[in-house]
Amino acid sequence: MKILVVDDFSTMRRIIKNLLRDLGFTNTSEADDGNTALPMLQSGNFDFLVTDWNMPGMTGIELLKHVREDERLKDLPVLMVTAEAKRDQIVAAAQAGVNGYVIKPFTAAVLKEKIEKIFERAG
Amino acid sequence: MSIDSDDEILQDFLVEAGEILELLSEQLVELENSPQDQELLNTIFRGFHTVKGGAGFLQLNALVDCCHVAENVFDILRNGQRSVTPELMDVVLRSLDTVNEMFDSVRAGNEPEPADAALIADLSRFSKPESADEAPADSEAISEAPAATEEAPATPAAASDQGDITDDEFEGLLDALEEPDASEAAPATEATPAAEAPAATAADGGSDEITEDEFEALLDQLHGSGKGPGTQAGVTDSDAVSPPQPVDEPIAAEAEVPVAPAPAPAPETSGNISESEFEDLLDKLHGKGKGPTDKLDDTADVTPDAAPAPVAAAPTPAAKQAPPPAPKAPAPKAAPPAGGPKKADAPVPTAEATVRVDTKRLDDIMNMVGELVLVRNRLVRLGLKSTDESMAKAVANLDVVTGDLQTSVMKTRMQPIKKVFGRFPRVVRDLARNLKKEVTLELKGEDTDLDKNLVEALADPLVHLVRNSVDHGIEQPEDRVASGKSKNGTVVLSAEQEGDHILLSIYDDGKGMDPKALQRIAVEKGVMDQDAAERLSDSESFNLIFAPGFSTKTEISEVSGRGVGMDVVKTKINQLNGTIHIESEIGKGTKIQIKVPLTLAIMPTLMVMLAQQAFAFPLVSVNEIFHLDLTKTNVVDGQEVVVVREKAIPLFHLKRWLVSDNPVTSAGQETDPANVKEGHVVVVSVGTQRVGFVVDQLVGQEEVVIKPLGKMLQGTPGMAGATITGDGRIALILDVPSMLNHYASKVNLAA
Repeated sequence: MKILVVDDFSTMRRIIKNLLRDLGFTNTSEADDGNTALPMLQSGNFDFLVTDWNMPGMTGIELLKHVREDERLKDLPVLMVTAEAKRDQIVAAAQAGVNGYVIKPFTAAVLKEKIEKIFERAG
Repeated sequence: MSIDSDDEILQDFLVEAGEILELLSEQLVELENSPQDQELLNTIFRGFHTVKGGAGFLQLNALVDCCHVAENVFDILRNGQRSVTPELMDVVLRSLDTVNEMFDSVRAGNEPEPADAALIADLSRFSKPESADEAPADSEAISEAPAATEEAPATPAAASDQGDITDDEFEGLLDALEEPDASEAAPATEATPAAEAPAATAADGGSDEITEDEFEALLDQLHGSGKGPGTQAGVTDSDAVSPPQPVDEPIAAEAEVPVAPAPAPAPETSGNISESEFEDLLDKLHGKGKGPTDKLDDTADVTPDAAPAPVAAAPTPAAKQAPPPAPKAPAPKAAPPAGGPKKADAPVPTAEATVRVDTKRLDDIMNMVGELVLVRNRLVRLGLKSTDESMAKAVANLDVVTGDLQTSVMKTRMQPIKKVFGRFPRVVRDLARNLKKEVTLELKGEDTDLDKNLVEALADPLVHLVRNSVDHGIEQPEDRVASGKSKNGTVVLSAEQEGDHILLSIYDDGKGMDPKALQRIAVEKGVMDQDAAERLSDSESFNLIFAPGFSTKTEISEVSGRGVGMDVVKTKINQLNGTIHIESEIGKGTKIQIKVPLTLAIMPTLMVMLAQQAFAFPLVSVNEIFHLDLTKTNVVDGQEVVVVREKAIPLFHLKRWLVSDNPVTSAGQETDPANVKEGHVVVVSVGTQRVGFVVDQLVGQEEVVIKPLGKMLQGTPGMAGATITGDGRIALILDVPSMLNHYASKVNLAA
């Protein structure tokens, strides 16, 4: 499975990539914000998107909206990484079409669970 | 709490987050000047947020806590619920300092100390909307409320009470409670198993760290009701959040209203969302139960427009294992099959645009390139002698390629000086506030690149000079007004590249320096005698501030130190093969200019010969060279001097110091120094003085790659290193100040 990890903080990308690797996902790419992520997604055949919420340039939620608007990407599963589980935020994300969210910091196990749940839903 | 696990990531984090902290320091000062800048507020918020996020993964909890409250302050600020005040800035800057200290201790391999409780309290105070200040009693009252909620989480009434305060207030509240109350609340609620989940969720809302217990509780919620690890969990599930309960109906029914009415109190009051609520939300959004029903037959009976109740009911028997409403699929269903997660594709290494490289490695490369350059120089020299044309071509080619390689490698080590400049807004701001002065700092040429080592080495001297400008240069506002200047002083810090040098200047429009006053002080401090002082030119007088033991402030100021500074600055700049120059005008201001080479690894030198040995003077310190009839020297105070343009310059015979007493006679030349009639004099500046060195022969200017001396020779006085010259010989590079110190220490240079 080809995964795109989007975060403006490269350490965080590395952390997430390492966690994903621990789960057996080795085919990961990185982008540092929505603006760089979107073109990559459009041309890259990604199967899964893990994006941070709070980024300069294009935020995670904006990226999500763009992804959903894109005919080819609208079904791409998206996991949102966020620092807090603020209700209104999560609701907004869900309405924008997010498939799951995970609160920082998280462990590989949590990540795994989140991913499994997303794909369970996705069928 | 293992600091060393994930060490690589930790190091990365320290570097990257360190950069963010540097930026933050700049941005915070900027914020004080433009407190309304929404973009800036967002950026600062994000800065703390990002550091917090990273620290969370690395379990640097002290760091997380501190960043968290700071972040909250900026959340309030950017939402316009509070405005930037100097007091607030002080506290925020203090928190940044604390964070920096924590970074230092993490760097040193220690667990960071938790932040000062008072600081956290101050920050939390500022992280509530301004209105909260006016009614402290009010906020007390509110802070009581959540405690009550936690005690009686199942009471819908409590939840609706909370509807009166905003989420933000509540957040702030939880934060305030976080320290003592959260821990109190936990044991209290544990007594009633039913309360556990809500409590956990509530605490969740307050802090972003999920403790193990809370996390466990969350996991319990995730597993279907019957499947919970313990009885407790079972209760929690049904009571609070688990969807299979009809309780969820209202939530599901009101897709548009996030804060659903009462029944599941705790999660709602916290403003946070729980797992199962999220699941429900997805259901609602993506058509309840609609989806790939063919795949999940057991729940196929759920019709697309099914009412929430049946949906919720369905999983109760069927999907005990699964996270609650498993059967329903959201819109994105075309994605990889459910079995996917484990089925990883063949690992495809993905390219990254940037790589972080240990500077040690760059140093090694630089060193090797240095070797290559030496060989190149040698070959070029040989190539000139050769008559073989193809050989000459090859050498010329090598020459070009090596030059390019050298430049590229040097570029990899270049950093913008912004890295140093970045700390100045903060330095000036704090200092000005401390001294009650009004100072504007202007930065110019921040993007000028120079060698990484230089950037680091320049930091301290520059800080010192800038502090001096603010402390000694800029006057108090009233004095400025009295002398017809604007109240606000200006300090300009600029950098620009000038050929192979970087020119740094620090300019202030302060009171300037009085050469006469400096001379007087020099005499008082015993730096030099009256006569000598009076003979000094203005520019030489300014240079007095670099003399050891010279400080114009009579009392020690905590700001600019105790007079140990400027001579250290001078020494440091000299070590970097740089020069420092002062211009000042009374009442107008002072300008200090520092010139340093672009890189430390390659140095232009003046090659000279002493007998048969080659030596190299760093070219920066060479003032002039001339031919001298050695019989025309004078002796003053037992020191041989030569008069150049009516100035006496002490003269030293380098050969007497550096070449053994019975040198080989060459070409019939008389080598006994005493009998030498003529010689070449190299005049170099050392600190504020100029001295002349008599050498046998001048070879010329040569760019050399500095190689450190071998272990046994390291620390040899007077030697900065060695190099290989184009003709294959080894030349020692002279370190003039240290050489004078060692060989001429008895000579009073000031004379």
